[in-house]
Amino acid sequence: MKEGFRQSMAWLHTWSGLLVGWVLFMVFAAGTATYFKDEITFWMKPELHAVTPNAAPQAKAAEGAVAFLQQRAADAPRWFITLPTEREPSTSVLYLKPPPPAGAAPVERRRRFDQALLDPATGQAVTAPRETRGGEFFYRLHFDLHYMPAIWARWIVGFCAMFMLVAIFSGIVTHRRIFKDFFTFRPKKGQRSWLDAHNVTAVLALPYHAMITYTGLVTLMFMYMPWAPQAAYKDHGGTEAFFAEAFPGGGRTQFKASGTKAPLAPIAPMVAAASSHWNGAPVGRITVHFPNDANAVVSIARAGTQRLSSDQPSMQFNGVTGAQIGTFGDVPKAAAETRGVLYGLHIGRFADPLLRALFFLSGLAGCLMVATGLLLWAVKERQKFAKTLKQGGRIGFGLRLVDGLNLGAIAGLPMAMAAFFWANRLLPLDVADRGEAEIGWFFTVWGAAAALGLLRPTLRMWQAQLALGALLFVLLPVLNAFTGPAPLTVSLRSGPSAVAGFDLVAIALGLGLAGATWLVERKRRKAVSRQPAGTPPGLAASGQGS
Amino acid sequence: MGALLLALVFVASLAGFCALSLAMDRHSEDVFGRGSTPGPWRRWLQLGGTVLLCVSLGASLQAAGSAIGWVLWLGALTAAALATVGLLGCAPRRFHWIASAAAAVALLGLLVCLLLAASGT
Repeated sequence: MKEGFRQSMAWLHTWSGLLVGWVLFMVFAAGTATYFKDEITFWMKPELHAVTPNAAPQAKAAEGAVAFLQQRAADAPRWFITLPTEREPSTSVLYLKPPPPAGAAPVERRRRFDQALLDPATGQAVTAPRETRGGEFFYRLHFDLHYMPAIWARWIVGFCAMFMLVAIFSGIVTHRRIFKDFFTFRPKKGQRSWLDAHNVTAVLALPYHAMITYTGLVTLMFMYMPWAPQAAYKDHGGTEAFFAEAFPGGGRTQFKASGTKAPLAPIAPMVAAASSHWNGAPVGRITVHFPNDANAVVSIARAGTQRLSSDQPSMQFNGVTGAQIGTFGDVPKAAAETRGVLYGLHIGRFADPLLRALFFLSGLAGCLMVATGLLLWAVKERQKFAKTLKQGGRIGFGLRLVDGLNLGAIAGLPMAMAAFFWANRLLPLDVADRGEAEIGWFFTVWGAAAALGLLRPTLRMWQAQLALGALLFVLLPVLNAFTGPAPLTVSLRSGPSAVAGFDLVAIALGLGLAGATWLVERKRRKAVSRQPAGTPPGLAASGQGS
Repeated sequence: MGALLLALVFVASLAGFCALSLAMDRHSEDVFGRGSTPGPWRRWLQLGGTVLLCVSLGASLQAAGSAIGWVLWLGALTAAALATVGLLGCAPRRFHWIASAAAAVALLGLLVCLLLAASGT
């Protein structure tokens, strides 16, 4: 029997989507949250809500940061200073702690860094906020997962992303009437409605879905496909040489400490020189390699706005004399610029709040696309068991498994994300390793949701988990009002706007989940009323079919 | 002028998609009742919808530059198309009024933008 092209693509679309759908749902959800990484982190540090950092010119903020670091970490091998922006009004400093003495236990990568937020005008640390990973957790989760080596996680996520790309393009072929059904959504029609919802969320945000999946693979392309540079630079210094050439000014292996002490040159003239070299554009990040060493180098990158590419031009200065060493990336080469634009599109750092909100909206559409796709498979599969079910039989193992995983992923994940925010506010401030404890709550709630979902994949369970998720999200502003200085009544009127935005989005997400709960309730009533008397309703309502 | 252009991006793409949807038999029935077709209006609705989407693109490129403008436009199209689907589902009886109002506001906005550009502000 010869199958048509479209049928074979339908098969491919079904299976490439189903097999990795649950991971993709998490990647989409966490990645979408990452668009507001800074705002999430800020919300999770209520100590900062009442503090309004004083604005100061860039050179002064940089001087303050250097003075602070000289006091706190004069012997650190590297300092990173991020100057204030509209989204983050404080100066953020991060430094690498000196390496542990030989023979000591190696330190986990993340723990080798220490950071602080400074008032740009005074250079003093703003009130020490609570320890939390904040939005950084979702950012890492969406490609590093958790509780496993990052390198494995990246391969897993890359594998899933490749499946996603296949699912997107085979989906376009499978969908017969993209333009005819462009605006079509017919509610209350069972499988028809699920298909419409899947099509609408997929097609209307298609440019986004294709872009985000492809560029997601591009962000890690040197890991997934290292062979070209390996082959081309085989006799010319290996991949290190390739990176030095491809990303001039970006590397750090070329810097070596001399071991001789030398005072650091003033930073303000370097910031001024860099800014004037870029026609007055603001400075973004300053990296000081080996401060207070005779070989110190100061690297200054332009602020990443107004440009699609993630690669920003940078300048290097001698850290002792203050003399300019070189400028990099003023005229980017075509290949590097292509990669930079693709990378930049993925992380969307160029986006102002409005564009960021649109990215967020498209990301939510992506979550719904994956979720409806997963549910659609279960709905279709259930029809094959219609006769068996009527005779009192049971559904197959595969469908039961998918039902359970769908429940745990789609209803469980939002609940876990909300629980993460609740943990942030409810855990005592002096808990050891507080950031990891919050993450523990996230995975405990998600694990419990998935286990319960696999044990009892019923409509009642869907309802319970969706309702709990809705409640947790809708009540986040209330929690914030009781555990922070900026309740919605204050933040809406006089800021901080990031807190107001977070609270409003939490309410909106909660209402969305409440709407989903209501849809399940309607379906459950229908299923119960259709059932002949004598059958326990829990059994009758099992699954989310038709 | 910036805020005006941004508003134009969204209103024009919403009006454009509304017009394109009304040019289709299925949605014409949604809005005007069973059996109604756009008839001779179909071509004009399609043309008008396309023009409005182009106006949206122009405004977007003007507002956000020739690189980020394309991203903004695609994002606005997604939002506007989702809004159109939502309106067709929730308010089919008032759909044509909302669509007409959006189109009128878009044309007015375009006119104001052109006048402002011509007067050099």
